Order: sequence, then C-alpha cells, then structure tokens
Amino acid sequence: MRIVVAEDLYLLRDGMVHLLEAYGHEVVATAATGPETLNALLTHRPDAAVVDVRMPPTQSDEGLQAALAARRQVPGLPVLILSQHVEQLYARELLADGAGGIGYFLKESVFDGEQFVDALERVAKGGTAMDPAVIAALVSSAPSNRRLDRLTERELEVLGLMAEGLSNQAIAQRLFLSDSAISKYTTSMFGKLGLTDDENGNRRVLAVLAYLNKP
Amino acid sequence: MMRQLASWGARVGVGFLRACAVAVVTLLIPVVWAGAVALGILWGPANPWSWLLPVVLVGTGTLTLARPVCRAVRFLVERWTGTVVPPGYREPGPVTRMSTGYWWNGHSYERSRRDAVRDQAWRTWWGDPATWRDLRFAGTAPFTAGLAAAVPPAALAAAVLALAGPSPLSRLVGALFAAPAAASAPYAWRLLEPVAVRSLGPSRAMLLAERVDELTAQRADVTVAQAAELRRIERDLHDGAQAGLVALGLSLATAEKLMESDPERARALMRSARAGAAGSLAELRDLVRGINPPVLTERGLVDAVRALALNSPLDVTVTADGGFRLEPPIESAVYFGVAELLTNATKHAGASRVRITVRRGETGIVVEVEDDGRGGAVTGDAVTGGVATGGAVTGAEGGLAGLRRRLAVFDGTLEISSPDGGPTRATMMVPCESS
Repeated sequence: MRIVVAEDLYLLRDGMVHLLEAYGHEVVATAATGPETLNALLTHRPDAAVVDVRMPPTQSDEGLQAALAARRQVPGLPVLILSQHVEQLYARELLADGAGGIGYFLKESVFDGEQFVDALERVAKGGTAMDPAVIAALVSSAPSNRRLDRLTERELEVLGLMAEGLSNQAIAQRLFLSDSAISKYTTSMFGKLGLTDDENGNRRVLAVLAYLNKP
Repeated sequence: MMRQLASWGARVGVGFLRACAVAVVTLLIPVVWAGAVALGILWGPANPWSWLLPVVLVGTGTLTLARPVCRAVRFLVERWTGTVVPPGYREPGPVTRMSTGYWWNGHSYERSRRDAVRDQAWRTWWGDPATWRDLRFAGTAPFTAGLAAAVPPAALAAAVLALAGPSPLSRLVGALFAAPAAASAPYAWRLLEPVAVRSLGPSRAMLLAERVDELTAQRADVTVAQAAELRRIERDLHDGAQAGLVALGLSLATAEKLMESDPERARALMRSARAGAAGSLAELRDLVRGINPPVLTERGLVDAVRALALNSPLDVTVTADGGFRLEPPIESAVYFGVAELLTNATKHAGASRVRITVRRGETGIVVEVEDDGRGGAVTGDAVTGGVATGGAVTGAEGGLAGLRRRLAVFDGTLEISSPDGGPTRATMMVPCESS
C-alpha cells in the first residue's frame, strides 16, 4: 500500500514509517503540519493515510480538519486518525459522511503492530476500524444505552466488536466461538434493534455505527 | 374621606417626628459651635484668652461627635428607607504580645496592652479616610438635610408662638405658619437619604482599598490551590507513569537477558511490558484530562462542553451560539465548572436530563446548567443553618464553593437556584472582552 504519514513529533513519525515499512508498505510522503497534510493527501492520493489530530501551526485539531477537508474533496479517501485521546465528538464527525474508509485509534494501538496494520488495511479497503475505547464510549452514551438495554451481554459484546470493524470471522476468533454462533447472535441482535443485516460487511458496520451515533 | 384624612394625618405625624429626629442629629454639631461662639461672646473682648475655650470646644466637639452622628444617620436611613449605606471604617489589626513582653499593634511597641490598643485605635482613626469623610459630612449635612428637616419643627414653633399671641393678626400669622409645618412634614426628612448615600458611602479610594484586600485574599487562595494541584500532579506522576516506566525498563532488561536462554519467558515479559506501557499511557491520559482536557485546547469551550455532554451518562442537550474562543484560563474555569455541575446532577441530584446553554453576551459569557433532579443543592456561601434534604450538601457543597472561588478569580459569579424537589438551575457568568 502507498501510505501518507502525518505526525508532528519526529520520533513518532519515524517510528511509524519504520513500522509500516517493516510490514511491507510504502510510505510515499510524510507531513508535520496541517497544511502539509492536506497537500500530501490531495497530491499523492494514497491508499491509506495515518493522521495525528493535533498538529502545528495552531496545535489545535489541524490534522483532523485536514483529513476532513481532504475527504470532502475526495470522498472516501481512507484515513486512519491517531490521537493521544479519543473523543466521541470526533468519532461522530468522522463517521458523519457515511462514506467509510475511516479509522480512529489511540496512539498506543501501534503497540500491537499486527492489529494496527490489519486495521489500516481494512480502512484502505473502504472499511471502518474503531478503537475499542471509541466504541465503549458510543455504546455507553445515554441514548444508545436506552436503546441497547434489550440486548444480552453477549450480544452487546458482539455488537461492540462489530462496531470496531471486525468481520464475523474475526469476532468468532476473538470470542473463541464458532462462525455460526456469531451469525446467530447478529441475527437476533439486528432483529431486536430493527436493523437489516447486510451481507456486505462494511455496510453492516456503518449501519451499526450510524445506529450508535443516533442522538 | 375620613380614612384619607386619617392616613394623611398619620403621614404628617410620622414625617414630623422623623424631621425632628433628622434635625436633632444633623444640627447637633452646629449647636455645639453656636454654644462655643456664645461662650466667647459672653466672656467678651475684655479677656484676651476668651477665644481659647470656644476654639477647643469646637474642635473636640466636632471630632468626637462626627462619627456617632454619622452612625446615627446611617441607622435612620436604613430604618426608614431600607437603603444600606456601607460604613467602610477601617478595622484595627490584632494586638500581640511579643517574646520580649512588649505589645505590638502593627505600628509600635507598647509597654502594656492598654497602651498598645489605645495607640492603635488612635492611629486607625487618624489614618482612616472614613474619618475625614465623616467630618466632611458633619460640616455639610446641617446645611442640606439639616436645614430641610428643620423646616417643619421651626414652622410649628413659630405657629405656636404666634397663636399664643393676643391679637387676631398674630393668630392669623400662626395659622399661616401651621400650614407649611404640616405640608412639609412628610417630605422634609427625605433629603437625608440622597445626602447620606452621596457623601457617607465609601469613596473611590475606599472601594479601591476594599478591592485590593479582596484581590489579595484571592491571590493567596489561588496560590494555595495551585500549589496543591501541582503536588497532586507530581504525586500522580510519581506513583503512576514514572513507576510504570521503571517497571517497563525492568521487564525489558530481563527480557533482553532471557532472550537466549528462555525465549518463551522473554516473549511473555515483552508482552507484559507492552501492556504496562499501555497502562501508563492510560494513566497519563486521565491525568492530562484533569489538568487541561485536550478537546478544550483543540476545539475551544463549546465543543469541549459538547464532548463532555456526549460522555455523560445523562441525557444532556447543549445549546450554544457559534464557535467562539475565549482566553484559555477562562475557558478552562468554565469547562471545569460545567463538569462539576454535571457531576453534581449525576451524583447528588439524581437527575436524568440536563440542559446546558452557552451564551456569549456583550459583556461576558453566560453558561446555564439545568437538571430535572431533586434540587436542594446548597452552596458553601449560602449555608444558613438549614441542612438541605436533597442530600446534595456534603460533596456538592464543597465543590460549589470551590467552583465559586475559581470563577471569582475572573470576577465571575455562580448563581444557584435549587428548591427542594428541583429543578436545579446553575448560572455561571464570567465577564470577558469579545475577541
């Protein structure tokens, strides 16, 4: 994959480049400020981008704004946002266009290089990948809480993993269950929530996220 | 008709008594002056020292009577009109005994406590701007409020004298005097209020001095709070992230050693090191959130409050006009205020819905937090013996007092309306320039 890395701290940027190259990906450009990020995203049109939220010159949410701006011009441009903290507010904004190709993770998710690169690849294919912390926050927010109280604990667990962007297979592996058990859970879950189960995994994830996102 | 007449009569009567009281109080000092002058004239020009006693009388009389007269005026004004004229006298400081056995009153050492207190009282009196203001008032009030208040009694006295006269003409004159005495009675004393407010209230210098005291106290408060906060952060870092990093280094060092001999254990150690690093990061993240939430830095107050609302277990709606940025310290104070109020709504009020409104007015920012809980919140400053039944006293009270203090640093205010049974509405107001 051709990847753009936007991160203002040199050590982290460098480490990220090394990690991605170790997994056989090509880093086509790096950026250290908001404007540089937007420029790199639009000129290189990478297969995926890893973007930090807070960047110079203003040290506010420059990276996030650059990613959102690039996606307004190139809908669905795959972007994985990395941050020291995750906010439901940002997750909602990233998911608002419903175009997919979005990831949102805590920076320490790179500790598990395998899972991180896996998530990045999912994002590059137009999927979504969310940090468990984001999903936990979305699930426990007041409106979702009310709507989700009909689900059993296991169903909630499956819903969370699904919202993180995992496929049925991956969920089965994570929970040490069979594929068929997972599909039984998803069917009953979707029935209770009034969602239609879509065969296309990504559309399904988006449906779940949109559901959690509903105010 | 009869009733109107009666009420008019009562007003005249009350007014007349009040006018007499005002006249007595304000004209007391001029009477002393007049007495002194009369004494001087009585002794006549023959005695070369005849001027001495009147001068001493005028001086001591004015100086000793000024303050009691002013106190009486304040008392009367407050009693009749409800207008409080703050006295603003300077309070003497403490008198302490030193190890040498002498007494120190803030200015000088004295051999006995009595001397020290007396010396201090004298210095306080002399240096107090309120003393000079009182003297000014004592000199001017007789010619304004005093003269006006003297009209009804003087007219009445004239009327009585004239009516006692034998001729019909003098009776007519008496009746003519009685009319203004009665007519002016309900109004004559009223000049006292504006005069007192104008010249007995605290002067600009006194207000400034008061403000300086207030700011000094606030600065001390802030310094203490800041030091405590720094200590807390240091402790958290010391016991949390720092210790975590040490453990991390240990694990890595051991893993390095075991790499050759026992690769399986080495791998397990690396895994635990990774988990430890993630744990330390989580601790740091929580710590940072408590110092200055990242959303606040990245997005400003309104979005930070929105993020707070999203993270709350309650149903919170946020209404705000536009995205504006304020000075970072103000944003931070208001943000933590909202966080505190939301916590109270969750923990103490048992609310399920909260409405937050953020408005940017001409003069400052106004944030309103209203919940549908059981109310009865008591703020630290407003405790007046009664204990709230809502259970919102202990934790919430201290929190609200602290919040009020933090807002006061920016001249901000916190108003709470929280009747038993709810709802609770808290309004924070912080003045700030529009940017």
